[in-house]
Amino acid sequence: MFSQNPSSRQSKGFGSGAAAILLVAVMLLLACASALAPLAADGAAPGQVVVGVISLAQDEPVANAGLQQNVTVGSTVMLNASLSTGFEGASGLNYTWYVDYRNFSDAATFSPFVDLYGVTATFIANQTGVYRANLTVKDSQNRTSYDELSIIVREKPPTWLESHLLAIILGAISGVILVWVLVFVTRRLVKGDPIISEAGREKAGLVRKRSMKVIRQLLKNPMGLIGIIILAVFIFIAAFGPLLAPYEVSQIHPENKIKLPSKDHIMGTDNFGKDIWSELLHGARTSMIVGVVSAMIASFLGAAVGLYSGYVGGWKDEVAMRLNDIVLSIPWLVLMIVIAAMIGEIDLTGIILIIGLTGWSTTARMVRAQVLSVRERQYIERARCIGASDLAIIRRHIFPNTFPLVFANTILTVAVSILSEATLSFLGFRPIGIVTWGTMLSFASDSSAFQIGLYWWILAPGFCIVLVVLGFTLLGYALDEILNPKLRHR
Amino acid sequence: MPSRKSFRRVIGKRLINVVLTIFGIIILNFFLIHLMPGDPIQNVIPKNPKFDPSLKWKLQEQFHLNDSMGEQLAWYMYNTLTLQWGTSYMQNRRQVFDIIITDMRWTLLLVGISTTFTILIGIAVGAYSAYRRGGAFDVGSTSISLFFYGMPVFWLAIVLQLLFTTHPLGMNWWPQLPAGGYYDTREYGAELKWTFPVVLSVMKYLILPSATLAVGTVAGVSLIMRSSLVDTMTDDYILTARAKGLTDYQVLRHHALPNGMPPMIALIAMDIAFVIGGAYQVEYIFNYPGIGYRTIDAINNRDFPILQFIVVIGGVAVVIANFLADVMLIYIDPRIKIS
Repeated sequence: MFSQNPSSRQSKGFGSGAAAILLVAVMLLLACASALAPLAADGAAPGQVVVGVISLAQDEPVANAGLQQNVTVGSTVMLNASLSTGFEGASGLNYTWYVDYRNFSDAATFSPFVDLYGVTATFIANQTGVYRANLTVKDSQNRTSYDELSIIVREKPPTWLESHLLAIILGAISGVILVWVLVFVTRRLVKGDPIISEAGREKAGLVRKRSMKVIRQLLKNPMGLIGIIILAVFIFIAAFGPLLAPYEVSQIHPENKIKLPSKDHIMGTDNFGKDIWSELLHGARTSMIVGVVSAMIASFLGAAVGLYSGYVGGWKDEVAMRLNDIVLSIPWLVLMIVIAAMIGEIDLTGIILIIGLTGWSTTARMVRAQVLSVRERQYIERARCIGASDLAIIRRHIFPNTFPLVFANTILTVAVSILSEATLSFLGFRPIGIVTWGTMLSFASDSSAFQIGLYWWILAPGFCIVLVVLGFTLLGYALDEILNPKLRHR
Repeated sequence: MPSRKSFRRVIGKRLINVVLTIFGIIILNFFLIHLMPGDPIQNVIPKNPKFDPSLKWKLQEQFHLNDSMGEQLAWYMYNTLTLQWGTSYMQNRRQVFDIIITDMRWTLLLVGISTTFTILIGIAVGAYSAYRRGGAFDVGSTSISLFFYGMPVFWLAIVLQLLFTTHPLGMNWWPQLPAGGYYDTREYGAELKWTFPVVLSVMKYLILPSATLAVGTVAGVSLIMRSSLVDTMTDDYILTARAKGLTDYQVLRHHALPNGMPPMIALIAMDIAFVIGGAYQVEYIFNYPGIGYRTIDAINNRDFPILQFIVVIGGVAVVIANFLADVMLIYIDPRIKIS
């Protein structure tokens, strides 16, 4: 049908609209593909060896039991405490492993399971539930250090459906968008209509004109420009970083743990023998996915609640806003911590849902305020007079008027979500089986990375978080300034 | 007087909202407890195989666990409002209310000091950079603020802790500060006695945690103050004031600041939730015995009785802060009274 629109301006109008939709679908597919990758590596084989590290920080023994492990029922778990390399004078250390057990349904009580002494100890995980291995180290001067790790024993490895839930959700959304485009095009083709109607072409031209204007303003705005540059760098790292990374990060290499920076490992290795530089590159992708996807969930929910309560008004609005006040009042970190503690073991999907489902109330309040001001305008009244339904009015008139604000706010929410993930991970609610900047910081702080001399282990993820958050904040502020009519006069 | 009457009516309406919200938080909390996995009685009875199960039934009866959901909710509301918050699973079964009140003092001290400094410094920096908009100070302070605004509080805490407990790059003159605890227990004993040297020690131990907490929020407050003032400075009456021949200081002090303050007050109240979140991380890293440290401790021990009322306390604190800000706004800004 392109032959019917020979004019280049008109076909461009089609091009930008379709390209935008296709871009969104492709981005979602990419996100879905990358969500597949880290989870596919999860799911440990039976008989996983668990590694404990004892490092000597400032001449004191520091126990580090290691990463949370997932095994299947009946596997043999070997607890192996060994001294990390490069420390002298560690003789006379005394290791104790103490293992206790709880089943999945009972989050509160652990019952004693077995006491094991010595550097290496073995037990058979013959029940489903959580085994907690506590490692105590005592040196000749009676100074002790203690750490624990959870070994989660499941009936069978998580099913394909469970471990790919996020990828399936994202894939379904992108599939729906693609199918929608296809159905739209074929229907027009079958009917013999031009694919793009006259009105649609004009609208696409206007949208393109306006978005070009926003982009031009954004590039002129110093905050927006710096934000875009920072984000471009980090999006590049998130997209290609894992390919550039010199080492794999899903495997534990006990023989390689806690190595100071060298030629092979430019930032050293962590307590599981993973290359820190590779982890940093991999972490960029997961941190960005967590931030972006949970911000999108939060914005979607917030926009839905805000549109509904702002449009219907009356007592329903009042009830929705009181509920919103309640969620907004509970300090955000406390709410997330309590929910994470209740769920117990969280993975990538879990942490995204926790952040997304607790973060929508600010957006809802803002969207509602905007809807209230739009609702009273004359064109809404006119649309109602010619018999447009409520849904059509929201879709055609009210939503497009709030979208710019929602968009700017989503960008700001991404920054908050990345911070939330880092904080939750740091406080011990680490998503299982993936590397994010937050989990890196958490392990680094647990292993006293600074005292060991692995400065990059703490500094690099921290700086990355600061820069990405700065990028999203700058871009969000700049967009807000351009798109928010109240601020435009400045 | 009509204005006083409407003032009362507005306050009354807000007060009803506050009460409703607090009730909502308490009820939400009830459902949070019911979603928790596990049997609450299991944590109260002694762990002994020879244990008599009839005691368990008696306890179930005593805690109304056999009643219907509605009755349980009613009992829960009664107990919450009469401050019978139960006992902790750990901590020698101390009363939850008692534990929370004890820890609250330290959190209030920490948050209070850092918020006071935050507001003073943040407003001063924000006002000056709005006043010299586009100048070197403005560009510098805004970019530094944006940098610190996005910094994870826990990471800043770790870095500051390391900076002030070691001599970085071998600089011997570098000041050293205590990096954990709330006063020098080694010198003054484990039992807290309020003598002058102990107070000095408490203050010294407060420096790092409150500074960490303040850095992020100073950045936020100064950014908001700046944008709010820049908004006001472009209004027509500022031009009029300038045209009258007032000095820059007079314009700022008597025309711009009073009109730039109301959004500040609302935003500081909104920020309280974030300050509490930051205090959690700071207390965790500096071993400061406040509510935040207790929360992490309670989570590690699965001590749900403490955890649930920490949620309530946090929510109520935010609601009350917002209410006080509202009252202040209505008092300051006559336009709200009329509308």
